[in-house]
Amino acid sequence: MAETEVPTPITKPGRAKPAELVQLIVFRLGDEDYGIRIEQVKEVTVTPDVARMPKTPPFIKGIANLRGDIIAILDLEERFRLRPAGRPIPERSYTIAVEAADYVLGLMVREVPRPFTMPLSQIEPAPEFVQDSSTRDKYLEGIAKLPEGGVIIVLDMRKLLTPSEVMRLPGKTASS
Amino acid sequence: MKTRDQEYRELFMAEALEYYDSMSRHLSELERNPNAGPALNELFRLMHNLKANARAMGFTDLGEVAHHLETLFGLIRDQERTFSGALIKVVFAGVDALGNMIRAVGADQALPDATALLDNLDRLVRGEEPILEEAEAAESEEESGKKMELSDLVYIQVKKLDNLLNLVGELVIDRDRIMTLAQEIGNPALLATAQHLFRISDDLQYSVMDARLVGVGVLLNKFPRVVRDVASTEDKEVELILSGQDVQIDRNILQIITDALLHLVRNAVSHGLETTAQRAAAGKPTVGHLTLSALTERDDVLIQVRDDGRGIDTEAVRRKAIERGLTTAAAALDEQGVWALLFEPGFSMASKVTDISGRGVGLDVVKMALDSLGGQLRVESQLGQGTTFTLVLPTSIAVKGALLVEVEERPYAIPLMHTDTVLALQPEQISVVGGMLVTHVQGQAVPLVPLQMLLHDEGDELLPFADKADMTGAQQVLVVNYNNRRLGLLVDRFIRQQNIVIKPLSKPLDTIDLFGGVTLLGSGQVCLVLDVPALTRLFLTKRP
Repeated sequence: MAETEVPTPITKPGRAKPAELVQLIVFRLGDEDYGIRIEQVKEVTVTPDVARMPKTPPFIKGIANLRGDIIAILDLEERFRLRPAGRPIPERSYTIAVEAADYVLGLMVREVPRPFTMPLSQIEPAPEFVQDSSTRDKYLEGIAKLPEGGVIIVLDMRKLLTPSEVMRLPGKTASS
Repeated sequence: MKTRDQEYRELFMAEALEYYDSMSRHLSELERNPNAGPALNELFRLMHNLKANARAMGFTDLGEVAHHLETLFGLIRDQERTFSGALIKVVFAGVDALGNMIRAVGADQALPDATALLDNLDRLVRGEEPILEEAEAAESEEESGKKMELSDLVYIQVKKLDNLLNLVGELVIDRDRIMTLAQEIGNPALLATAQHLFRISDDLQYSVMDARLVGVGVLLNKFPRVVRDVASTEDKEVELILSGQDVQIDRNILQIITDALLHLVRNAVSHGLETTAQRAAAGKPTVGHLTLSALTERDDVLIQVRDDGRGIDTEAVRRKAIERGLTTAAAALDEQGVWALLFEPGFSMASKVTDISGRGVGLDVVKMALDSLGGQLRVESQLGQGTTFTLVLPTSIAVKGALLVEVEERPYAIPLMHTDTVLALQPEQISVVGGMLVTHVQGQAVPLVPLQMLLHDEGDELLPFADKADMTGAQQVLVVNYNNRRLGLLVDRFIRQQNIVIKPLSKPLDTIDLFGGVTLLGSGQVCLVLDVPALTRLFLTKRP
């Protein structure tokens, strides 16, 4: 913040220039890496006992007690239809508690999520057509290209799951 | 436990001491500035309140002094007397006397004699000079007797108590957990500590709950005015009888049912009771009687609104229900079943029913308030004789008795408030009627439904036609009761009865009304608490 430099073009991330850094919590869904800004993550833990919650869509695995808070546990692979065939969520999975809108949700992931720091400039806005047209809120913050070639899809949790989205009942949405 | 008298006395003391402190403060201000209007008004008000409180508690001498001072301040306020000269001395002496009397009440001693003071105050009121004798001696004596006092009572915001109760709830859950773990591990030292923790947290929980209890009177005592107002607009003569003001209940529960009770009372006066002429014609006493009473029944508090009015015209309600297409089965419903219709949200909108039956406007509000508490509503009515509404309320919202059942290897809790009986039925005791499983309990036909079907069927489609074919062995049935309707839930297993602390579901899960919340079991398992009203409604909309 102290020094203001001429910003380097987005396509050529500066090497030595002090740039604004973002810290992400990176996890795998399907065969891709996804990231959430660390400020939106409350904690990462081994998935606690999950009670199946009737009357919820299948991608809600149920509810769990996280230090006194009862939160919904979501399976984003199922939500985004990214589940690789024959690779169910393992017995021991991890849950990322994230602050979405004005409540806390748990995201169930198969591997230990890892922190990752990179310059903000490395995140490029996602192309319009990539956005899920069925959701009004644009929950993709952008796509980060990694020097070694891969990408991290950065999600904006505050927009990802609105209450109506989370709670839509399959019986009602199936017809539409 | 303290007696009610003691509690009232402590409240009186706390308030009186506070009044005394403010009086001294305002008096000093008045002495500096004899024209201080606000201070004067405040003194007048404080004297008035102290008088009323003291008289209500039976401390007549204290009340007398306050009354005389009140009169005098009234005169000063109206500028018939001035705050000057000998009057100041007498007033100060008067307030000091009040202080001494309040202290005497607190110490349970006889109140000091105030005849001379009262005489002087009388003289001042009449405009005569007071007789000041031995003023000096008295003053120095009092000076040495004066102490600073701090009240024994603490005022506390309900919000803080709520927070405390939530924390205790958490503690109790963890306690159960530790207890279970200790039993599993079997270490004697750990077990002893766990048991100690158990007792302490139990006491703590009851202390916090106790701190939240208030007398039902704080609500009931507001009703004489309400009844008077409604009666006078309706041009009816109503005698209100209150009883059971001392019954203790959680303050938040009172808060939640305030509107419901207001509704029932207004309804009783405006619709339940007849006009004087109608009563005379029916050969009843012309003055209508309305009784508001509270009583305890086991762990519940009952609040009853009873009138001796016209009663519910069951047949008229039945006709309306059929006319409005609310239920095709209305013709077959018994009295209780018909009255239950009055509390259906849609039904109460019909003003015509109100005219005929005298009930109905906004009764769904009452039902909703009770449902949110896990309470029950009972209706008794006799045509021409009157109607009684009974609100069955839990004493406290913190801990509820619940029955734990198992469905598909997961536990569910059902508040005892809504459970009726538990049955083990052989398949031959169950019949299939119109696609529904039905059994007979105490001569009444009760529909049965597998709980798992209500929980796991996710679409809007109706339940499948019932089939007994794969039923083998005894069926575990929990009969629940909501709005006078019984429903038998088939469960896999009964686990046990247990007191549970219910945590509300947070967003976005709170939109599913089938669950009243969750509780954590000793094992650490999350257990959903079923909402019987919602389950019953779901069953009604989905039955084949």
